Amino acid sequence: MTLINIIIKMSEGLEKTCAIFFLTLLFAIPLGMIVALLRGSKFKIISSIARVYISVLRGTPLMLQLIAVTYGPYYLFGISVSRNKLIPVVIAFTINYAAYFAEIYRSGIDSMPVGQYEAAQVLGYTKTQTFFKIILPQVIRRILPSLTNEIVTLVKDTSMAFTVSYQEMFTIGKQIANSQTSFVPFVVAGVFYYVFNAIVGFVMGRVEKKMSYYKI
Amino acid sequence: MSVLAMSNIQKSFGSNHVLKDISFHVDKGDVVSIIGPSGSGKSTLLRCATFLETIDSGTITYDGRNAAETVSGKAVYAKNLNDFRHIFGLVFQNFNLFPHYSVLKNMMDAPVSVLHRNKSEVRDECMALLEKMDLAGKADAYPCELSGGQQQRVSIVRALAMKPEILFFDEPTSALDPELTGEVLKVIKQLADEKMTMVIVTHEMPFARAVSDRVVFMDKGVVVEQGRPEELFGQTQNERTKQFLQNYSNT
Amino acid sequence: MKKRVIALILAALIASLTFSLAGCGKSGVDVPVPAEKAKVFTMGIDPEYPPFSYLGDDGEYTGFDVDVCKAVCDYLGWEFKVFGVNWDQKLVQLDSNECDCVWSCMTILDSMKEAGYIISRPYFDNEQVLLVKADSGFKSSADLAGKDVAVQLGTSGESLLNEDLKDLADSFGKVVTCDSFLKCFTELEGNAVDAVFVDRPVADSYVAEHEGFVIIDEDLGAEQYGIAFRSGDEELCSQVEGAIDALVADGTYAQIAAKYTDIDEGNLIFLK
Repeated sequence: MTLINIIIKMSEGLEKTCAIFFLTLLFAIPLGMIVALLRGSKFKIISSIARVYISVLRGTPLMLQLIAVTYGPYYLFGISVSRNKLIPVVIAFTINYAAYFAEIYRSGIDSMPVGQYEAAQVLGYTKTQTFFKIILPQVIRRILPSLTNEIVTLVKDTSMAFTVSYQEMFTIGKQIANSQTSFVPFVVAGVFYYVFNAIVGFVMGRVEKKMSYYKI
Repeated sequence: MSVLAMSNIQKSFGSNHVLKDISFHVDKGDVVSIIGPSGSGKSTLLRCATFLETIDSGTITYDGRNAAETVSGKAVYAKNLNDFRHIFGLVFQNFNLFPHYSVLKNMMDAPVSVLHRNKSEVRDECMALLEKMDLAGKADAYPCELSGGQQQRVSIVRALAMKPEILFFDEPTSALDPELTGEVLKVIKQLADEKMTMVIVTHEMPFARAVSDRVVFMDKGVVVEQGRPEELFGQTQNERTKQFLQNYSNT
Repeated sequence: MKKRVIALILAALIASLTFSLAGCGKSGVDVPVPAEKAKVFTMGIDPEYPPFSYLGDDGEYTGFDVDVCKAVCDYLGWEFKVFGVNWDQKLVQLDSNECDCVWSCMTILDSMKEAGYIISRPYFDNEQVLLVKADSGFKSSADLAGKDVAVQLGTSGESLLNEDLKDLADSFGKVVTCDSFLKCFTELEGNAVDAVFVDRPVADSYVAEHEGFVIIDEDLGAEQYGIAFRSGDEELCSQVEGAIDALVADGTYAQIAAKYTDIDEGNLIFLK
């Protein structure tokens, strides 16, 4: 198999890698915010549940969570394993990344000076307005660097989907490597991930720059 | 009728009894300065008046309507507190401008999204206010691009944009370099001349004396003495007031 | 051979980057282990491949291949060790000296010999079969047209579907590659696939232990198992082969085979 053929074959899997990446971001970014807000809840039970959620999801390997989400429902309730592996894979990635995002949001929210809340309160903003108009935009600005870190990790973590037999780019690379007794596919995979992350870094850099019109 | 009346206010932080049965009122057009040593409770009084702290007991009345009253020994707040918030404005020691909004947006956002007023009307008013305060050139600037004095002046016009009946100042010059206090005090003086109702917590004694209709001296959670500035600064008979003013002029 | 040199250079690179192995600096090919010094003999197995190599109830690796290797080591006076390889990386791990041989139902492929590996005489006749649920009604590979089939990554079954049985693979709806054969069976049990393409003895053992599964009686690919050694280890290979011959001669080999009733003795070449 020529290098070109290897690249073409692996590009087919890249589509699935991208699907995991974008769908996970799409769901985990808002879910993380919900978890962060629940964690900050005044009600002890709710904040404890959110705390346990974060602690479990961050304290166990993503690979285990992938297996649990994919095969757990079958072993526990006899529900058939999903034929479209994208569904359990995205669920597992989403709940895992939501936990990490929640902690990042939390640290951002906690770092906001109380004066911002007080100024908004005195001006008569409702709690919802205060959060969405005053607090959230500043929080996003503050957490953007940590968020970028996590997104870069997500790109690399997509390769873990192979544990539940989802044929993303790295799995296909392994198959080719195996049948050709060649390491070229691994090098290609490395280049793919590197380029992907270079794009992520570039985009996030632009966003950061765009948001840095003011100093904190 | 008083714009603000606070009576028998009690406030504790844990075992620390900060406000001990304070009664205090401000009439329309009054400029009242509150002075006193650190920890005397003057800032807390202001924060209670603006609902940033909740009182333990007592009554807070704006324009004759109760915002908080005491029912069987405990303070109960009105449900529609946001309606009361439109009556007053507060200028913070640390400005607390919204850093992600331009100067104009800082001013316009609350009237538009809280009071639901017409945007272009609010814009015209805000531009006029900025013009008056010599800040028109800064309308599109962000707070981080302004000096401390300019930031505090912006925070004053932000409060004014809500057209409050009464404006509170919580040590408005304490966070400023000495050479920048003048521009802020000038603005407050200008407002006093326009008969704006104001309550000013301050350490600037000469300013308090010059601008106020009435001066309140607080110490250890009680109002020790209050009266016209020339009485309090000139011929007080109260030993504690005397001692405070003396210490102050020494330092 | 040139391909292999490139592969080795990349192996060293990737191994140091990805696997963070300790002491992987020397290449197995350049420094063959002298047989007389090989006091410790490390057997590379797929640790999830019953009944040939698996983790026994006592927590020790066991199985037909493991027991034979143990007997070989006893015979030669070597210390016996087991190393669980990542099946789709088995030859890399052999090259990087993590084990001295790969001995775990390994199908002999021409590509291995071309790449310079020393392969022992074949010891087992295998065939690839399709395992399905008993109530599925599938009777032949033709019935599985448009259905999903699981296969383990790195097995000869996978290579077959990619090459000799490409037409059959194309008739399937989807070929799902799993990283262990246990996951293939989980996929089948959980209805995520309709059949598993797997080595005959593994399928036999699975059917014996689990109800509700049948093997489609259709020979899809005949092949043989052998033991792989690093290139240059001809000496080591012939020592092991000699020991096995001795064990066959004194009956030990047959005794071990008798322990594993799931394994059809008719397929054990040395006992024919």
